[in-house]
Amino acid sequence: MDPDVILAFENVTKHFPGVVALKDVSFQIRRGEIHGICGENGAGKSTLMKILSGVYPYGTYEGRVLYENEELQLRQSSIREATEKGIAIVYQELALVPTMTVGENIFLGHEPVEHGVINWNRLYADAQAVLKKYGLDVDPHAIVSNLGVGKMQMVEIAKALSENARVLILDEPTSALSEAEVQKLMEILRTLKQHGITCIYISHRLEEFFRITDRITVLRDGQVVATRPVNELTQEDLVRLMVGREMKERFPKREARPGEVVFEVRDLVAVDPDRPERKVIDGVSFDVRRGEIVGIAGLMGSGRTELVMTLFGEYARVVQGAIRLNGRAIYPRSARQAINAGLSLVPEDRKGMGLVLIQSVLKNISLPNLSQFVNGAFRINADAELKACMQQARSLNVKAPALDVAVETLSGGNQQKVVISKWLLSKPSVLIMDEPTRGIDVGAKFEIYKLMNMLAEQGVAIIMISSDLEEILGMSDRVVVLCRGRSMATLPVSEATMERIMALATGITLTAN
Amino acid sequence: MASSTPSAAKGIKTELLNLIRRNLQTYTILIAMVAIWILFSITTGGLYLAPQNISNLFRQMSVTAFLATGMVLVIVTGGIDLSVGKLAGFVSVVAAYLQAKVWYHIFPDQPFLAAALSVLIGVLVGTLSGSIQGYIIAYLGIPAFIVTLGGMWLFNGLILLVTQGKTIAANQPVFSEIAQGYLPIGWGWGLCVVFIVFLFWNMFRSRANKRKYGFELRPLYIDLLTSGFSALMVFIYVLSVNRYRGVQNPVFLLAIVAMVMMYISNNTRFGRYAYAIGGNREAARLSGINIRDVIFKIFVLMGTLSGVAGIVLASYVGYGTIAAGQGYELDAIAACILGGTSTLGGIGTIPGALIGSLIIASLSTGLQMMNVAPAWQYVLKAIVLILAVLIDVYFKKSR
Repeated sequence: MDPDVILAFENVTKHFPGVVALKDVSFQIRRGEIHGICGENGAGKSTLMKILSGVYPYGTYEGRVLYENEELQLRQSSIREATEKGIAIVYQELALVPTMTVGENIFLGHEPVEHGVINWNRLYADAQAVLKKYGLDVDPHAIVSNLGVGKMQMVEIAKALSENARVLILDEPTSALSEAEVQKLMEILRTLKQHGITCIYISHRLEEFFRITDRITVLRDGQVVATRPVNELTQEDLVRLMVGREMKERFPKREARPGEVVFEVRDLVAVDPDRPERKVIDGVSFDVRRGEIVGIAGLMGSGRTELVMTLFGEYARVVQGAIRLNGRAIYPRSARQAINAGLSLVPEDRKGMGLVLIQSVLKNISLPNLSQFVNGAFRINADAELKACMQQARSLNVKAPALDVAVETLSGGNQQKVVISKWLLSKPSVLIMDEPTRGIDVGAKFEIYKLMNMLAEQGVAIIMISSDLEEILGMSDRVVVLCRGRSMATLPVSEATMERIMALATGITLTAN
Repeated sequence: MASSTPSAAKGIKTELLNLIRRNLQTYTILIAMVAIWILFSITTGGLYLAPQNISNLFRQMSVTAFLATGMVLVIVTGGIDLSVGKLAGFVSVVAAYLQAKVWYHIFPDQPFLAAALSVLIGVLVGTLSGSIQGYIIAYLGIPAFIVTLGGMWLFNGLILLVTQGKTIAANQPVFSEIAQGYLPIGWGWGLCVVFIVFLFWNMFRSRANKRKYGFELRPLYIDLLTSGFSALMVFIYVLSVNRYRGVQNPVFLLAIVAMVMMYISNNTRFGRYAYAIGGNREAARLSGINIRDVIFKIFVLMGTLSGVAGIVLASYVGYGTIAAGQGYELDAIAACILGGTSTLGGIGTIPGALIGSLIIASLSTGLQMMNVAPAWQYVLKAIVLILAVLIDVYFKKSR
């Protein structure tokens, strides 16, 4: 094998129940290069990195991964093993202990020990040495929680390097950084390259690939589309490679008959309640009509979920702009107020936020709607509750042995139907659905789509967030594109193409050709 | 054909085994209790199950049980209340103080009015204390563990202040009836009949409802066995205590409180919300539940129940002492855990907590009767608690 190749994927395939996450992936990473990996959300980038780090150990995927000409055989739950072999990941969500010092974090898990006790002087001296060698400007005695995001990332890089990493994987390293910090990161990466360290660089911001990487591999639907030197590509090429595919008959047809405007958001600006200087939503405007499905597209970190949580009164503090429902201004400050106003939210994280998994289907559906069944002051009318929930579950075709089984025993698709049932029972005028088909199989997806169409025909205004561009184009009447907390444009679906959406979402302008 | 018979037999056998295993899990705690009773009855030469002892056993359980019925909801929401023992103790010395030092000077010959006022003030003190702690926990966001640990110390201090380190008598005629009195024999039987009729009526009504909505029904004989077992226990209890002096007032009071608490936890929004918060706080929040409000109310309710427990304690012991309520909070927590309440929140029942309380009382009484040294009593209680939870965890895993 080519001695220049440090890491090679050979026909790697990874199945999940109902989904193929990676299909026959083959490409090589050369020693000392900065190799970019790009693709849409869900193209398979994260799965690939999880195979490299041992989250999905050897044997759970097909094909081979060659590292230094030897097959990489990471055992069950041994992320440490990958690190010991020299493959380290700098995580998207920073994985540091915020209450500890920089030095402690760098050596967490492999502290210099003498006679069973930690040699603190050596620890800090070594930490200082690592930081200095790679030009990382951080004080090893500083407490991590006092550092900015950029410096925290440097600590993570130092942590990986202190364990003699030869391959460093950076997963969305710039998503939380300011431009100055990005600049600094690029410098650090160049230093690393001079020291012979190979980097795998994953990002949604296309322009960064052109600033730093040597070669780029594009993934789409779990397959490698191309691996090319960066100087042979343009941003437009990259976008086309990422999305270029045909639309299949995956979406049920619906005749759109949108009525009057029901829900309206104007120039919304909202800040993080804990850090008021940080704008989470920075100028969002759109409206939704009766019987219309409006898709919200945007890359990870563009503020999609933050936006809908804010509309639902549960996240950021609105400092500017207006939210109008049926012509009336509303300012929900809690989920209760939002529900009472006529909003419903099917949250992104079904298990973490949508359901009480240990409770029955019945109790989950009725939870936000119990007030409907209370007669007198206290008593829940069990008969009325059962009847309403049963009707709702039936009309959505929830497949469960009975209403009194725990929702944790149901399949993902049926769990999602329970969440939707729960939110339809309150008869909302606006239904917000955040990633309504994430993690459910194709058949169940189609059912959810039919359901959305049926609701739209009944006059519900639907706001759908999705990372799946095909889903956005297949289901929406209009598409709102978000980029860094701002609505870039609202496109009628007839004028929306994947390329246009991707261009707006990444903040680049396409040249006409 | 020859080969089908053993496999059919095997099928029935596995089904039976599964049934036993499932029910063993559900009733582990009941079986444990019966085992404890049988064991003690052997070691004490039958004395353990004598009417007088059964009577004592249930009365002893009642104070812990009042606390445990409230503690279930606290733990279900993912909280803890370490102050309930000392709060009950504080209420008991306040009641004793009022009985012995206050009412006598204001209206010397009105024992009924005096007792009523003591009860009222005692319960109010409990409720108010619960409200203050609940406010700090729910609205100021201080963890329940810390607030109620502080509460425990505070009430301990208040007990010393009220008693001045001395024991106060609370054995006035009407007041002592509350926990030391008995229902007339006829009442006992009447209540027993009413309860058993209600039990079966409820069972059949719930089966009819389940059938109406197509829910999976448990085999009838299992429901009959369960209800029959409960009915039998109540019958034996009434038979037994009626052979002594009748159903004790505090046990009757406990039965009423337990039914109210069961009703609240099953049939009201408040109860449902408590379980939802414990099951998944985020999902509950996004479902529009006012989490602070529910948590606050739970601590208010816990305070009220501590007040009731304190009154029963004072009346039962006949004194307000500096050690009043010592360690009761841990008994109550242990009772909940024994009764199947999950420390992770979201799971737990009132009947479970009652049986848990009964087991703790059964152990204490039995070991006392056997003259086991207090040191060993603690050791044995520790083993039972941990073993019971271990068995429970084992059955949940193997399911």
